[in-house]
Amino acid sequence: MATHFDRESAERAVALAVSKGAAEVKAWGSWSTHAELSQREGAIEKSAEATTQGLSLSLLVDDRFSSHSTSDLRPDALEALIDRAVAATRYLEPDPERRMLEREKMGAIDRGPLELEDLGFDAVDPALRLQRVGELEAAVKALNPGDMVSTTAHVWAARSETRVVFSNGFAADAASTSFGFGAEATIREDSGKLPEGYSFYSARHRDDLPQVDFVAEELWERINRVREAGPCESGRYAMILPGRSAGRVLSTTLGPLMGGSIWQGRSLFQDKLGERIASDKFTVYSDPAIPRGMGSHSFDGDGQAATRRTIIEDGVLQTFLLDVYHARKLGREPTSGRLANVIVPPGARSPEAIAASFPRAIRVDAFVGGNANSTTGDFSFGIRGQLLENGVPVKNLSEMNVSGNLVDLLASYAEAGNDPWTWSSYRVPTLLFEGVQFSGT
Amino acid sequence: MHTADTLLNTAPTGGFYFERFGLTHEALRRIMAAALARGADDCDLFFEHARSTSVSLADNKVNAAGTSVDLGMGVRARAGDRVGYAYTEDLSIGALVRAADTAAAIAAGGPTREPGAIKAVQIPNYYPVKRRWEDVGLDVRVPMVRRWEAAAFAADPRVEKVQAYIADTERNILIVRPDGRLIEDFQPMTRAFLVCTVRDGERRETNSANIAGRAGLEFYDDETRHERLVSKAVERSTFLLDAVRPPAGEMPVVLAPGASGILLHEAIGHGMEADFTRKGTSIYAARMGKSIAPDFVTIVDDGTLPGERGSINVDDEGNPTEKTVLVEDGVLRSYIHDEISAAHYKVAPTGSGRRESFRSVPMPRMRSTYMESGPHDPGDIIRSVKKGIYCASFSNGQVQIGAGDFSFYMKHGWLIEDGKLTQPIKEVNIIGNGPAALEKVEMVGNDLELDEGGWTCGKEGQGVPVSQGQPTVKVASLVVGGVS
Repeated sequence: MATHFDRESAERAVALAVSKGAAEVKAWGSWSTHAELSQREGAIEKSAEATTQGLSLSLLVDDRFSSHSTSDLRPDALEALIDRAVAATRYLEPDPERRMLEREKMGAIDRGPLELEDLGFDAVDPALRLQRVGELEAAVKALNPGDMVSTTAHVWAARSETRVVFSNGFAADAASTSFGFGAEATIREDSGKLPEGYSFYSARHRDDLPQVDFVAEELWERINRVREAGPCESGRYAMILPGRSAGRVLSTTLGPLMGGSIWQGRSLFQDKLGERIASDKFTVYSDPAIPRGMGSHSFDGDGQAATRRTIIEDGVLQTFLLDVYHARKLGREPTSGRLANVIVPPGARSPEAIAASFPRAIRVDAFVGGNANSTTGDFSFGIRGQLLENGVPVKNLSEMNVSGNLVDLLASYAEAGNDPWTWSSYRVPTLLFEGVQFSGT
Repeated sequence: MHTADTLLNTAPTGGFYFERFGLTHEALRRIMAAALARGADDCDLFFEHARSTSVSLADNKVNAAGTSVDLGMGVRARAGDRVGYAYTEDLSIGALVRAADTAAAIAAGGPTREPGAIKAVQIPNYYPVKRRWEDVGLDVRVPMVRRWEAAAFAADPRVEKVQAYIADTERNILIVRPDGRLIEDFQPMTRAFLVCTVRDGERRETNSANIAGRAGLEFYDDETRHERLVSKAVERSTFLLDAVRPPAGEMPVVLAPGASGILLHEAIGHGMEADFTRKGTSIYAARMGKSIAPDFVTIVDDGTLPGERGSINVDDEGNPTEKTVLVEDGVLRSYIHDEISAAHYKVAPTGSGRRESFRSVPMPRMRSTYMESGPHDPGDIIRSVKKGIYCASFSNGQVQIGAGDFSFYMKHGWLIEDGKLTQPIKEVNIIGNGPAALEKVEMVGNDLELDEGGWTCGKEGQGVPVSQGQPTVKVASLVVGGVS
């Protein structure tokens, strides 16, 4: 096992590939260490630990492009891989837009203020993980109202480092830690169904994680929302989408803005730059510089310094998400294909106040399968949630779908709650959409 | 069916790893001894060397290729149903023993077990390869993607853009156990993928088709495969131009034969994985031996189908694979087991302990899951529906194991009105509850088809290749996510 990062592996790979005939090379060296524990019925069920290293390479040979990755870092194996890679690349057709960015356009923002690394990582005693997983399992069990079938508690920690080197001389480093824990539990209903609930959190710094009791209480609160669930009547409802589950809708919206979708003609937003594509209340931006943010970073895959970008402002599409390759294909300036923390600015009202203003609404707590078509915007997702009447839960919902077209959904956006969810790269508050089609009975 | 001795796929001597990485029987025993040193009951060493190549075409050019190499060993120590796991990409003896030491710590003391003398085990070969991908250059792959592209453009003037990929993986695995078993397998895989964007006036649609199997280059000797790949991709794309969203609500759903096996995969397959049932967290946990479907329903999970994407010569714990009957004539007969769940239930493993790679612990997983043909004529099945939908192709599905809620996404199909297929429909999620849906299987056609698409099953972050199939099936009622 590589006990520490071989920081020069990317430099060596670049030099080797250049010596074998590649005109341009980008190499990523990566290293990570992680440990995870899960506990069930008072004993550790699984303990896994590993330290791992890998290398990825992109080559341009006579303007022909290929990409490679390997975990076999023995020098002779790496040399053989590069030999074969350079030779094979010559069989392809030229694609000069693959050329890397000019050196002077590359850069990285200062990593320090991002605080992506908990510098106390190595000092964390493994016994603390054992203690926490035990405490969490006990806390979940202590709140068991009597119908719990099984609970498993999990704790994990990871640290990773990467170094990217371009043959034009640009190089940059990234390092981050993540700590996480949580539990899942299953209950038995008279119907024979065994609904499950979970509560998981992860953070860049260990001390940012919530308390054990908070997680256990939230787990049972979430289980109470899935008890005796079933479908309600098909129809149009206000959809209240908590920030925790809003990532699905946001990623469905942002996916068609990526360079690959635009260039391949597979985007419903193809010709919509500068036009209104959502309700004038809808704004979303990408911010790479939030301290400890799960989506924070200092540079992208093309070696461009990370920047904040407004994607949709007051409903108007401000930018596509273009990496260098697709920007050149489209004859536009690159805007980075790497999303950072995706942020919808919070509103004034609490989610409870928003829900109370509707005689009936559906709060979607989780999506169950489903898909969306980026070319047309058609979507259809399974859901679980609650039917709310004037903000009061009257029925737990399952076996229902929400369907429609993204154009209509974004136009129906009405309000953001005051409760931004900060535990993922989608830092989004509760979102309200009006008149959304749900199917049930 | 071929016999085992004529199809022996690699010399059963541990040849691959012994040659390439200098491993010896002595070294393997030393690593296992380390894994057992703290009192573990059992352990396994899983060596893997996977090489993948892909070639892709876009913008009328074959303009990207990729390769990847994944090499390493995972070691699992077991103390009852408790698991210690570690892995390493460094195959030096020191690193391998260190990984085993890490895994060993799961055990809390007790008698130590001495690994036995190592002896290679012969296994059958359900996917003999004629032309290995490592001997096939890009000069062979490049014309294939070009051919599919040209055929797609020629098939319909509305085809505006085409992307085509061919990808293959050759994976050598070596599993060693303290009882002395040494098992090697060579696992090939190929997958071809074709995406079409079509345009009619202002209306634009995209859809795709793919084919996959455990085979070498000879997979593509069958001309009809190329034709099906292209015709499916083009027809499924142009179909969407005229399709509408179906109505919302509960209605009868008829599933076309083939990929509709996704219904089985989600509605029952995952719930039969015995890591869930042994913890009591699957809705099928207490139903063994009980009737869960009409008596014309028989559901199988099979690792032995020749050349299928879901087939395995041996599972990733080193146990022989098999054809496992999950539901026989409507009655629940067997769960899907790995060694831990089999020990829990005191039954033989079903050869279903699978893992994504050496970085992952094995779990009970599906292989090729399908429903046997039933008694009904497919035409009669459609004629039996007054108002409902007919689902022809699918993209993905999901299930909640305990609650039993499952969903699958229909890419295209038709409305059924008065017993006839009428309006083309598209893009709809369909959701139901597993046991309830099986009880509501009203008719099963006599036309079982295995889908040739490249399905990947995800569970706890691990993806494994699977196959699925089904005859035409009518479910009396599911919730269709349409629009009113």
